[in-house]
Amino acid sequence: MEKALMAFAAAMCVCGGCVTGIMEGKVAVQAVESIGKNPDAADKIQSMAIVGAAISETCAIYCLLVAFLIIFILGA
Amino acid sequence: MKLQTAVFTVIIVTVAMAALLFYINKKLKDFDPLSEPKGIVLLVIMYAQMIDKMVKEKTNDEVATYLTPYIMSVAAFIFLSNILGLFALETPTSNLSVTLVLAAVTCILIEFYSAKARGAKGYIKSWFEPMAPFVILNIMSKLSTLLSLSLRLFGNILSGGILMSVIYQMLGSISRMIPVIGAKFNIFGVLIAPVLHFYFDLFSGVMQAFIFITLTTSFIGKELPNK
Repeated sequence: MEKALMAFAAAMCVCGGCVTGIMEGKVAVQAVESIGKNPDAADKIQSMAIVGAAISETCAIYCLLVAFLIIFILGA
Repeated sequence: MKLQTAVFTVIIVTVAMAALLFYINKKLKDFDPLSEPKGIVLLVIMYAQMIDKMVKEKTNDEVATYLTPYIMSVAAFIFLSNILGLFALETPTSNLSVTLVLAAVTCILIEFYSAKARGAKGYIKSWFEPMAPFVILNIMSKLSTLLSLSLRLFGNILSGGILMSVIYQMLGSISRMIPVIGAKFNIFGVLIAPVLHFYFDLFSGVMQAFIFITLTTSFIGKELPNK
């Protein structure tokens, strides 16, 4: 029973990643749109989009980390 | 005391990198500057130009002279560590200690360039901006840079490695259903896993190395006066 609850908690943690997925997709959409409007600035937009996506990804990574902690430390 | 596997894999990466650098150095010495570059020489020149352009864009020329070699070597180190999973070894970057060291070097560099740009008095003052009580928030923001940089690399690579091992187990249990050869040979693993290795090891490895160096140069560039 306890193990099942831990597995459920880890699964719930990873759910936080879905919002990050949607929003990172939004970053990509905006980057593509602005490169379409202004192809000259493609280099700058590309690096900014990657940095923005990477920073917003931190949230999902924390979710994953908490899930790992639950599985490997609580569950061991 | 039991040593972690990352100790050995880091040594392997370092030796591999040193051997690669010796080889490239020999190739570059033999290279005639007037002839057309090709092969590994072309690759190295393109790599150096790319990093040099990126660092110069985000910082100023004076800083870029010292920063570019470091960025180039750290990118090569992270990339080589990330693709170690292809050679059936554990990736060193899936150990938090390794990524924490890499992020700590970045943080020390950020503080160093911040102190150099502001001077001793301005640097101490920058910890108490905009008011004295904000020193707690400033310390927390510096710590969060360290944490997020190290955990991003660690989490991405570790999750890739765990997913790959889970997929291998699953494919192994599927191939056990095949009557004669399945019991000894993971036939589905050979067929399906290479595509996933391409994504989780190669693509993700290049991407994370690139993100790490982009963030490092951006954070350092932010501390410089006219940027």
